[in-house]
Amino acid sequence: MAQRPRRQLVSDALMVVLPPAGFFAASFFYNNQLLLLTMMVYVALAQGLNVIFGFTGYLPFGYVGFFGAGAYGTALSVHFLHVPILVAVLLGGVAGLLVAALLSPLLRLTGAYFAIASLAAAEALYYLVSNPQLTAVTNGPYGVNLASVYNSGAAFDAAVILVGIAMLCVVWVRRSHFGMSLRAIRADPLSARMAGVNVVRARTIAWLISASLAGLAGAIYAWAISVFYPEAVFDLSISVFAIVFALFGGVGTVLGPLLGAIVLYGVYNYIGVSQPQEFQLIYGVLIVLIVLFLPNGLLSIRLRRLRRGR
Amino acid sequence: MLIPRTRTVGLAALSALLASGLAACGASSSTTASSGAPKNIVIGTLYSGSGSFANSSLPEFQGLKFWIKEENAAGGVYVKAFNKKIPIKLVALNDQSSTTTATTLYEQLVTQDNINIFVPDFGSVLTLPAVTIAEEHHMLLFDQTATGAPLFTPGNKYIVLCDLPLSVIWPDPLAHFILAKHIARVAIIYGANDFDATQAATVKSVLAQGGITPVYYQAVPTTTTSYGTLLHDIAATNPQAVIELGYASNDIPFLQAVHQGGYHFGMVMTAFPGQQFSLIEGAVGKAGLSYTYTYGVPPYIKFNTVSEGLGTNAFISKFGGGNIANVSFENVAGYNTGLIIQAALAHATKFTQLSMRAALFGLSGHFTTLDGAFQLNSEGGQVGELLPLAQMLPTSSGNAIKIVYPPASADHSAVYPAP
Amino acid sequence: MLWLFALIAGILFGLYYALAALGLNLIFGVMRMVNLAHGDVIMLGGFAAVLLFDRLGINPLITVLLVIPPSLLVGFVAYYLLGTRVQRSRDPEMMSLVMFFGVSQVVEALAVIGFGNNEASITSAVFGSKPFSIAGQGVPGAWLVSAGVGLAALILLFVYLYHTGLGRATRAIMSNADEARAVGVNPDRISAITFGIGVGLAAIAGIFSLFMIGGTTPSEGVGLTVTAFAVIVIGGLGSPMGTFLGGIVFGLALMFTQTYAPVWSGFAPFAILLVIMLVRPTGLMGRSVRSV
Repeated sequence: MAQRPRRQLVSDALMVVLPPAGFFAASFFYNNQLLLLTMMVYVALAQGLNVIFGFTGYLPFGYVGFFGAGAYGTALSVHFLHVPILVAVLLGGVAGLLVAALLSPLLRLTGAYFAIASLAAAEALYYLVSNPQLTAVTNGPYGVNLASVYNSGAAFDAAVILVGIAMLCVVWVRRSHFGMSLRAIRADPLSARMAGVNVVRARTIAWLISASLAGLAGAIYAWAISVFYPEAVFDLSISVFAIVFALFGGVGTVLGPLLGAIVLYGVYNYIGVSQPQEFQLIYGVLIVLIVLFLPNGLLSIRLRRLRRGR
Repeated sequence: MLIPRTRTVGLAALSALLASGLAACGASSSTTASSGAPKNIVIGTLYSGSGSFANSSLPEFQGLKFWIKEENAAGGVYVKAFNKKIPIKLVALNDQSSTTTATTLYEQLVTQDNINIFVPDFGSVLTLPAVTIAEEHHMLLFDQTATGAPLFTPGNKYIVLCDLPLSVIWPDPLAHFILAKHIARVAIIYGANDFDATQAATVKSVLAQGGITPVYYQAVPTTTTSYGTLLHDIAATNPQAVIELGYASNDIPFLQAVHQGGYHFGMVMTAFPGQQFSLIEGAVGKAGLSYTYTYGVPPYIKFNTVSEGLGTNAFISKFGGGNIANVSFENVAGYNTGLIIQAALAHATKFTQLSMRAALFGLSGHFTTLDGAFQLNSEGGQVGELLPLAQMLPTSSGNAIKIVYPPASADHSAVYPAP
Repeated sequence: MLWLFALIAGILFGLYYALAALGLNLIFGVMRMVNLAHGDVIMLGGFAAVLLFDRLGINPLITVLLVIPPSLLVGFVAYYLLGTRVQRSRDPEMMSLVMFFGVSQVVEALAVIGFGNNEASITSAVFGSKPFSIAGQGVPGAWLVSAGVGLAALILLFVYLYHTGLGRATRAIMSNADEARAVGVNPDRISAITFGIGVGLAAIAGIFSLFMIGGTTPSEGVGLTVTAFAVIVIGGLGSPMGTFLGGIVFGLALMFTQTYAPVWSGFAPFAILLVIMLVRPTGLMGRSVRSV
């Protein structure tokens, strides 16, 4: 790989280190740790979506399926393998990866077909996990209890590290040769293939990275909330929120989804706390206005200003 | 591609944003005076202003607010630890029926709003996230109507169930009624969720003691809203009694389908018409409910001799303007949560969470409200307020809910089989 | 004869699901906009029928006609107010998703304010209280009416698309908006009309959801949107005939699993969707697209 300018390396490193450091620091002067943790989980999900959607154009509506797989992967590892919780969290990421590998034939689909098929996969997975006939394995509709490994502080630290991993993944995808081939595929799959890019392999790798991030996010979330029913970790609104955050910030960039998740989730909670009565209405109106007046995402403001400045 | 400097600027902006956003979320006022008694007793709770739980959550919230209004009108709630009445302040946030949102808002109540009393939202699904938070922050959770088994664990001291018995004992009178009537062919269809599956398992095991095996025993997804085909298959097993255990959003399409398909069974039982009578009668019509059975709940079971708060009739007249149709079970439940809080504060010798818990365990078994006898098991689960079986009997002005079993609390005899 | 009933119920419900999904398919086919608020329009249709029936005693079949003019108006206004701006963004398909998520939130919140949170319905006796006999199976009259309206809507849409000038222009935009513009079709006008028709079809479906899924409630939108998406993807995007087939497949999958393995009836329709996607990546009737 070509020598990169040193300044770029420094700024890349900052982008990986500063966001988790910021969250870690925030925990010292703001003690609704679960809000911060959930925000970090959404940062990871938005960045995971960024890897698959921002760089390949595949939008998985059913992204929450990997999140749920991660949560249950962790729970099952704790209950059946009796591994330490950190190993169980990693196995949660592996669960997301395995589900993605199983679903990789879906990458043959395009556009909305892919989006809805992944949604169907997430729904099918939810109905499978919550099925009373599988109670012996997943505890079915009765939910999961991870009280034996509960540790809110450690789960928070894990989420901080997760943000770093998510940022690292996106920075790497953006800078690496691999990322360049992804962008080439997105621009024109046929010419990319002519140029010797293994299209299927590259897409599959992006898909697996993305799913593993969601799996880890689900694993850490499950650890943090400790007891939950299956619908809590297969809630479609988790998918929708992550997609909205990523798109709002701007996909295909490193900072966009991070900013999108922090700003929109922050605003969501701000409204929720200050205007509980009209919570849903205000948030809905806000999103419509954002799309109408900022149709290309948050980062487009800066791009626009830069262009104007030149 | 962007130049690096802008990126660093972006990061600085991000940190600033994060800080300001958090500062906004963290804005809260302390209500505790520096020493001695607090100026207010702060009750923190969530409600669902929209979404699938709203139709139960909001009436329950109204009940709680009614209790607060009553207490504040009388100068506040009596707190034994300070030997005086202290006004109540309510902090209520809207979780929109989302467990994810509820989780962060519960944490918000506990960490930012300096609450003294922690009251979760309606039902097991929305209450479950509060259990861990309550235990972690050593707040006693005044669980209102979450009756599922995962909420109660032997090690957790920070939960008491206020307004309903554990779901595992709900269908006890129902099952014994079936045995008493010698109904041999029973069909049970239930939602694939903790709440309904627990009840179904109880019915099945009690029936097994009487030597009865259901002719149909199936779970369906909680999201099921079309029961026509299922009912056709149930009818093919020739049952005398059909029991559907679901949420109101299941009961309505189920009862509609019974009516639509022209089915006639000796006994049809659903869970929610007793709790949300006007709502369900409005949706399925009077004829659709006539002669069907449901769990008998307050205000249809009446407790007029009570040791705390208003009795059933007094509550109906004060809250519902004298008309029982204006009072739902959830209203009673929310009000009753208030009464349990009132009792805890009135008997706790110290103003601490564990002292309140000890006070409630001391009252367990010696305490009656309009919701029935208050009795806790060792895990804080409610075992006193039993749910008898009720039947909806047509009168000239619509259906009336009558308690039909067990005989001790019955005010009418069951019409079985249904005409 | 459990299977025979499942077959009949599956087809009747299939027609209802097709009706519920037709509008979504039309809007996506013409505008490439992902209308996440589709299910919320279905919900509003249900409330319209309940209010008109309760207050004025209007039969739901009349309501079918009554909801059409306001739907067209709403569709028109919504398209010019919201749709045109999104169309100009860099990625209209995806930004429309974000925007309609917001719209869906707003509609649900307003519905709660306007109608409350309670489930509302009409007693099914309006369509006769005795079931009708089809091939020896007793089928509720309301199912037949709902399926009949679904079938009629399909046929009318087909006639509109293939035998009218507006319809031909609509299909021209579906296959290629730029070429259509080149031959003098005004995409905005056609899109606005299509949006109105799509909203109208959803509202009509809402009227019958009262009888097919028991009632209407402000929070039901998301679930209906998901089902409608599943139906149009099974059948193939852009094809009304595909939506018809998709609805039937979805209905049969649901009713047969309800009959033979009720506990899997949530799982089965989505599993079947996945299988169909793997065999035919553009749905049963979808045009094949270039894939790599």
